[in-house]
Amino acid sequence: MKHKSLVILLFIFCAFTLSAAQEDAAPVDTVQVDSILPPAPVSMLTAKDGENDHGHSITLRWELSADDGAGQNSVLSYEIFRWVPFFMDTLQSIQDSLEQTEAYIAELRTFLPRAEKRLKEYRKRKKPKLVIVIFVDSTQFYEDTIAASKRLLPEYEEQLKQLRQWRKQAIDEIPQAHTSYPEQGEWRKVGTALSGQANFKDVGVKERKSHDYMADHTDYYYRVDAVTADPAIRASSEIVGPVQSYGQLFNTGRIPVFVAVLVFCLLTILFVTRARRGAELYVRPLAGIEAVDDAIGRATEMGKPILYVLGLGTAADIGTIASFTILGRVAKRVAEYQTKLIVPCYDPIVMTVAQETVKAAYLDAGRPDDYYEDIVYFVTQSQFAYVAAVNGTMLRELPATNMYMGVFFAESLILAETGALAGSIQIAGTDQVAQLPFFIVACDYTLIGEELYAASAYLGREPILLGSLKAQDYAKAAVIILAALGLLAASLDWTAFINLFSVTS
Amino acid sequence: MRRQIPLALVFIFGVFMIFQYFVPHESSEWIYEFLLDWIYIIGIFALALGIWSLIRVSVAKIKARKANWGYPIITIAGLFLMILFGFTGYRDGSLGFHFMTAEGLSNPMFRNFFDYILIPIQSTMFALLAFFIASAAYRAFRARNVLASLLLVAALVVMLRFNPYMGPIGPYVADAASWLLNVPNLAAKRAIIIGIGLGMVATALKIILGIERGYMGKG
Amino acid sequence: MRRSTIIVMAAVFGLFILSWILRSTSLASVQEHYLIGGLKVTFSAFLTLAILSFLYKDNPFYKFAEHLFVGISAAFWMSMGFWTTIVGNLIPRLSRSLSEFFQVPYQPGSYNFVYFIPVILGIMLLMRLSSKYGWFARWPLAFIVGTFAGLNFVRYLRSDFVEQVSATFVPLLVGWQGVGHFVSNFSLSASGQFVAIVGNWVIFLGVICGIIYFFFSKEHKGAFGAASRVGIWILMITFGASFGYTVMGRISLLVGRITFLFRDWLNLIS
Repeated sequence: MKHKSLVILLFIFCAFTLSAAQEDAAPVDTVQVDSILPPAPVSMLTAKDGENDHGHSITLRWELSADDGAGQNSVLSYEIFRWVPFFMDTLQSIQDSLEQTEAYIAELRTFLPRAEKRLKEYRKRKKPKLVIVIFVDSTQFYEDTIAASKRLLPEYEEQLKQLRQWRKQAIDEIPQAHTSYPEQGEWRKVGTALSGQANFKDVGVKERKSHDYMADHTDYYYRVDAVTADPAIRASSEIVGPVQSYGQLFNTGRIPVFVAVLVFCLLTILFVTRARRGAELYVRPLAGIEAVDDAIGRATEMGKPILYVLGLGTAADIGTIASFTILGRVAKRVAEYQTKLIVPCYDPIVMTVAQETVKAAYLDAGRPDDYYEDIVYFVTQSQFAYVAAVNGTMLRELPATNMYMGVFFAESLILAETGALAGSIQIAGTDQVAQLPFFIVACDYTLIGEELYAASAYLGREPILLGSLKAQDYAKAAVIILAALGLLAASLDWTAFINLFSVTS
Repeated sequence: MRRQIPLALVFIFGVFMIFQYFVPHESSEWIYEFLLDWIYIIGIFALALGIWSLIRVSVAKIKARKANWGYPIITIAGLFLMILFGFTGYRDGSLGFHFMTAEGLSNPMFRNFFDYILIPIQSTMFALLAFFIASAAYRAFRARNVLASLLLVAALVVMLRFNPYMGPIGPYVADAASWLLNVPNLAAKRAIIIGIGLGMVATALKIILGIERGYMGKG
Repeated sequence: MRRSTIIVMAAVFGLFILSWILRSTSLASVQEHYLIGGLKVTFSAFLTLAILSFLYKDNPFYKFAEHLFVGISAAFWMSMGFWTTIVGNLIPRLSRSLSEFFQVPYQPGSYNFVYFIPVILGIMLLMRLSSKYGWFARWPLAFIVGTFAGLNFVRYLRSDFVEQVSATFVPLLVGWQGVGHFVSNFSLSASGQFVAIVGNWVIFLGVICGIIYFFFSKEHKGAFGAASRVGIWILMITFGASFGYTVMGRISLLVGRITFLFRDWLNLIS
């Protein structure tokens, strides 16, 4: 028996010794936490004001850590820290109190009228004696609550006024608070960049009342930490700063557009001036425009009206404005031939302008008495309700000619097909590329895109408008030349030329 | 004055909007946001003009007792009923001049009219496109000339690209359709867009410079 | 109104009532207010069929649905515009007492007074109704037209001109590594070098010829005319392709309405 227990004890002792030895003998590929080296930090960290913006942003750039995404000390991400003075917490708490007070006031304002109303109802009701105690208690409760609320409301409003003043003062003191660096503040994380990323933009908002407000002309300090899989193992970069954000006065990323504006304005002014001096300008015939006169004549002969649809654009859309000009010309000829004109409108401002245009056209034609307000009328500002109404008009009035000029969307095919059903001649013109196929297929004549804008020059033949057409043609010639040069540049890798046309913001 | 001041306003605001595009500074942005806000607000006032026009035209048709004079009554009835539901609502059990409570839309009839009248009709109008696209294709896709033939062939190739019954030529049709959509389609659209862009820009410039004044009427 | 029309209308009305009863009966077990529920679905189905009847010809049911739609939609947008823009956006900046009345949070600000300007412009627009002072309406119009003209000028110059031109800078030869490499790897596959090169050439020539088509101030004859003709061919291919592309999308819209009729109204499909 003695031997048995000895053997058992020996066995247990060996078991413990062996397991302890196994724990001590760590496998070859296990790394002990306390022996991991921190990664290499980022280098060449720079912080600059964000470019071509309204301020409130700082752009940081750095050279990647040597351990970025490789080896044992792999850097998996970068954490960006900004030094924030404790004063910002004070501002934050003022903001929070302000929002809370605004919420209380809103609640009281909602509650009071309801409570007063409820109290009135309670007072009017006649209750049986059994529940009189409860009834009286409810009335008392409401009376007490209303009185307390009425007392609290002006206090809260006073508090709100005070908080707003403090907030304004605090916001004005933000730049001053940041000058206390490195005292009275701490480093706070403002963003993360993944491994391989060598830049970060710290963007704030310009609204002073927002929690994310980032003041301009304020000294900011940054550092970037290279972080491994274990967030505790990291390496901090050098601190950069002070750097200030401010809004730029000119967006250099849009220089190509600026040059295009200047060139186009010069071209237009040049050709308009030449046209004013009496230069002859040829314009090629456009089938759709030439058909307008025939279409109006057809309507007059048949004794049927002409339907003119301005589209679903607003008065600010260029396509609609081009349509007004065409409407004016059409209305003048319609007035001369004394044909009926119907102009249903989608937008009320468009209706206003169209009324002015048609009235002026009738005046020009010497037929002011033939004009009446209901030639141009508003239908509705709902897309398909408008289409339903115009469809109904087409099938009831049976116009001889339908003209669709302006901005159209999905309803274009419905209008065109219904017009075809009604047996009308249809002339369409739109700058909506997606709707052109439907008009091409369903209408007799279609003005494709730019031809809509050219139509007013065609119909009026005014030298100034024709001069502007010439300017457009020269701009197109410039496009062809640039495209050819661009083809060469892309083939020969002349990135400098290609970058001239690159709009970066 | 009746035309000079509006033309001056067009010029001033037009030039400012061009200017603010190149000036990212905060103050330029604030003014830009103000101006856009103002346009939405003015648009609502304009809607009152539109509603007035609609009522006037409907009443004139009813008074004149022309053909279909009964239907404008439905328009006016629907208009006023929806205005009633849209401007009044229930709060704390009584009807008043409100639209929303904390719980949501306060007039259930407004919601019902929207869900069970507006939406079905709108969706059905949209659905009519299915019929019209078929009838348009039937009328237009005839190889009368080169242009119509090109239109027809291109449309057919693209329409058949997802057809599962094309047999062995199916993948080739799909590739051809894909090439048509990505290459010549892109080229032509780019040409149209460049033309439209130039036309828009020219018209916008003419408006700003006061050359294009058709929108202002006479007098 | 003709007798046949009256008979048809009466028949439709009778069918409507029958449908309402049947639908309400089927909803009785699932809804508390089954009569109202049945009426809503039946009326929606009636309006759907009224609009679809337009495909046959114009008829009183379509006219009814159309006029109802016009009136209700006009008022809908007016209500939404008033409550979201005027009450939601304007009043909170203008007046504390009005904000309290409409129970929207008042938003004080140093520059709130500028919001009186659109109110004044809006009132000037309403003067359009006066024959004597109607010319005041030109001022807000000028403001809107001028603002958007300026905005569109730069916006479209960038998106429709500068960026489109820059996107046309495509290389003549894609992935060129010599004639030998080109010939040995020649294939007609969509991802192949040959197709990519042809594609770039078609894009370049297509854009040029398309632009030439839109030249207004030069007669389209000779080489210029030939290029213009190629341009219109490319345009027609585009329009055909775009047309074909949208067909399936349009058909799917109809599927939605048919589903409503067969499922929600007639309860024939689950």
